[in-house]
Amino acid sequence: MPHSVDSPSSAPATASRRVFLKQLAAASGSLPLGQALAGGTAAALLLQAPDAAAATTKAPVINTVYGYESFGPDEAAFVESMLNIMCPADAHTPNGVDCGLAIYIDRQLAGSFGQGARRYAAGPFLQGAVQCGPQLPLTPQQYFKTGIAEADRAAQRLHGQLFDALSPEQGNAFLQQLAAGQIQGEQLDLGEWFNSLVYPLFCEACYADPLYGGNVGMVFWKMIGYPGLPATHALDVVNYLGKPYPGRATPKSIADFS
Amino acid sequence: MKQRASKTVVIVGGGLTAGLIARQLTAKGCEVLVLERGGDHSKGPESSLPNQRDELRWAVRQGLIQDWSRETYTLRHQHNQTALPVRWMESFLPGQGLGGAGNHWNGHLWRWAEYDPQLRSHYERRYGKQAIPADMPLQDWGVTYAEMEPYHDLFEKLFGVSGQAGNIDGKKLPGGNPFEAPRSGPYPQAPLHVLESGLVFKQACDKLGYHAFPQAAANSSGAYTNPDGQKLGQCQYCGHCERFICEANAKGSPQVLLYPMLRQRKSFEVRLNTQVLGLRYDAQGKRATAVHCLDLLTGEEYEQPAEVIVLAAFTMSNAQLLLHSKIGTPYDPVSNTGVVGKNFCYQVNTGVDLFFKDKWFNPFLASGSTQILIDDFNNDNFDHTGLGFLGGGTIQAYQFSGRPIKGRRVPDGTPRWGTAWKQANADWYAHSMSLGVEGSCYPHRGNYLSLDPTYRDVYGRPLVRMTFDFRANEQKMAQFVSGKMMEIARHCGADKVGSLQGLVVPFDSRIYQTTHIVGGTIMGETPHDSVVSPHLQHWDAHNLFVVGASVYPHNSGYNPTGPLAALALRLGDDLLRYLQAPGRL
Ligand SMILES: Cc1cc2nc3c(=O)[nH]c(=O)nc-3n(C[C@H](O)[C@H](O)[C@H](O)COP(=O)(O)OP(=O)(O)OC[C@H]3O[C@@H](n4cnc5c(N)ncnc54)[C@H](O)[C@@H]3O)c2cc1C
Repeated sequence: MPHSVDSPSSAPATASRRVFLKQLAAASGSLPLGQALAGGTAAALLLQAPDAAAATTKAPVINTVYGYESFGPDEAAFVESMLNIMCPADAHTPNGVDCGLAIYIDRQLAGSFGQGARRYAAGPFLQGAVQCGPQLPLTPQQYFKTGIAEADRAAQRLHGQLFDALSPEQGNAFLQQLAAGQIQGEQLDLGEWFNSLVYPLFCEACYADPLYGGNVGMVFWKMIGYPGLPATHALDVVNYLGKPYPGRATPKSIADFS
Repeated sequence: MKQRASKTVVIVGGGLTAGLIARQLTAKGCEVLVLERGGDHSKGPESSLPNQRDELRWAVRQGLIQDWSRETYTLRHQHNQTALPVRWMESFLPGQGLGGAGNHWNGHLWRWAEYDPQLRSHYERRYGKQAIPADMPLQDWGVTYAEMEPYHDLFEKLFGVSGQAGNIDGKKLPGGNPFEAPRSGPYPQAPLHVLESGLVFKQACDKLGYHAFPQAAANSSGAYTNPDGQKLGQCQYCGHCERFICEANAKGSPQVLLYPMLRQRKSFEVRLNTQVLGLRYDAQGKRATAVHCLDLLTGEEYEQPAEVIVLAAFTMSNAQLLLHSKIGTPYDPVSNTGVVGKNFCYQVNTGVDLFFKDKWFNPFLASGSTQILIDDFNNDNFDHTGLGFLGGGTIQAYQFSGRPIKGRRVPDGTPRWGTAWKQANADWYAHSMSLGVEGSCYPHRGNYLSLDPTYRDVYGRPLVRMTFDFRANEQKMAQFVSGKMMEIARHCGADKVGSLQGLVVPFDSRIYQTTHIVGGTIMGETPHDSVVSPHLQHWDAHNLFVVGASVYPHNSGYNPTGPLAALALRLGDDLLRYLQAPGRL
């Protein structure tokens, strides 16, 4: 499957990332949508019908917000590569960057979540039972960035290249290892970092209301058939008991009611 | 410190129980002041469309929940460990703001088993004295279900509860819970609609000879006017209930049914943004004299004297205020002495996901309490002889929301990202359902609350320290009842049955379980084994009362709000008596 993360392997790592960032906007839009879904369940076929029809006639809506608030260029390159691996362009959605996933994470980290709002931050910071939750003197933004730097150094150590210069297959294998706790960080537990911070942000980016910059065009809601707002279903709950709900193909978000 | 003019009754915390007590008192013109640390949610985005339907803001980022940067809890599993602060709590979610957690609750409403208030006597009678392990300090509450029944009835009418009675005056009714404690009348409203997941579950239970019935719910099945003339709208099955405020005013909540009415009453006053830091205690006179307040808007600290003080600040704050103010003897698990902090209990939860290619469950068409369940394996509704544990749980097919960030199910073995992950989400989102166990948690000698020696809240007070784990009794019980759940799961006709999501041991603060934390300021018949009397009166301060789940000596396999609401209404009436002749009730 074509992959917009691909960067020329001959170019030096830093240069390729700069080139990549510039190419981003241009690369977006030429995406293989409308392919038949691989799954064979009745559910998948029923769900697919309206979407597939729409996909052949209309170009998908993609992210049009550019410029990061919290990522530096290296961080942006890491995050974009990661998101395009975790969310490749396919029959379901455009690639992760085009779905707005990078913008979502960037804005979350720049905002109150990233600054540690409503999180207990007093010391001392001792290590103990994992069930007490992370004990780090870092805000989520600092934690995220520290993890990226460590993961990039691990990629350099293991593959001789920064993460964003890995092929999609190599990059995917690297992320799998990260998630399985198989890549040692220098100071951080990178498995914990990925599973408790990065992965939840990825899921939120896909499935939160588009208000926050991800899930552009409600593409993930359409994919699963979540109808969004206004969700006043007192009659629907009777009329669609055990039946497909028509609104699943045309979800509405907060913006549609604002 | 500056003192304000004394009040008749001061209630600490402005949640569900405070509203109920204030209703009883102000109806008779008694002066009541409620002190609440949070603000008023009723006009904000949390209570209005479209922003009410924002999963990220309210459910994931906990927009209505206690601010952990100000007050959190430390955790250890055994008393010889060093506790660490939970810096971001997921496992339980205390509320903040007028109405408390009673605004963002799910609305399942239970009366507990008729024998729950006499649980120790009940087990001893049925299985002999030796059946209760020495490290399980079960105890009778000193109040009976029959005494609470009229208050259950009143609460259900006030909150417009929708349900199917199973037992009216001892007569068993078809379609209801055959294990239900006898009721004096039916529920005020018809039950909520049954969803596809409930139909599937009921069929399986029928085959197996179990007794499935719809959850009684404070989610209003129709438009409703309560005995106070307060109104509920009809539930819209919007799937944004637990962790959310109902913008349709269709969930029985203090913000809808109590506080707007109370604020019209002359003898009622509420001070919002008022953090209570502690109590002033006259140990000689055995009286609590005043409440130490911090105005969070101005920074002003003052003392608020009162004739009667009621702690209605939810489990953790209730225990903290007593420990911090040095009222009553703190519990010590080693010497097994003292009472404050004792019998801290939580709740057992397990689950399993089911996948059906050709069934449409439409998970987003749901209310906070749309579930069908059985009570057959709860508490002592089945014979425990030879089982090696006490207690049990309900087993339910629950469908409360299809919120997409947290509410998706995929079969075991699904990759966590990539095209195959998306495919599985697309395939199964509308075609899956879950079963769950919500089980009892009995007290253990080693599970308790105390003050942490190291960590402090933003006001400089020691944090409450939880010493808690699910012990052998709960682990065995979870295994047994989960086995029954898996049996039902296999009879549902699913194409795929997920693996059992068992009880998570050790207790893990990073996973939401329930907000049903109980105990710490327990009720009982003597000062040796309890903090408050059967009338919720503090044994060491006769003008101090404590209300809420913190007075339960054990947790049953039910949600907590029914009995604590009944006890709160009863306390309101008791306080009217007390004020006429202050002394021991
Ligand atoms: C997500 C969730 C779902 C739930 N679902 C159910 C359910 O389905 N069924 C059920 O039976 N129960 C449920 N509950 C529990 C239910 O909400 C509680 O039982 C009920 O609200 C308890 O009433 P309360 O008055 O004791 O506490 P609350 O209603 O929480 O009120 C306590 C108030 O005290 C205030 N407070 C605390 N400390 C201080 C202080 N130091 N100074 C000033 N104010 C303070 C708080 O801000 C809060 O407003 C749920 C709870 C949660 C969080």
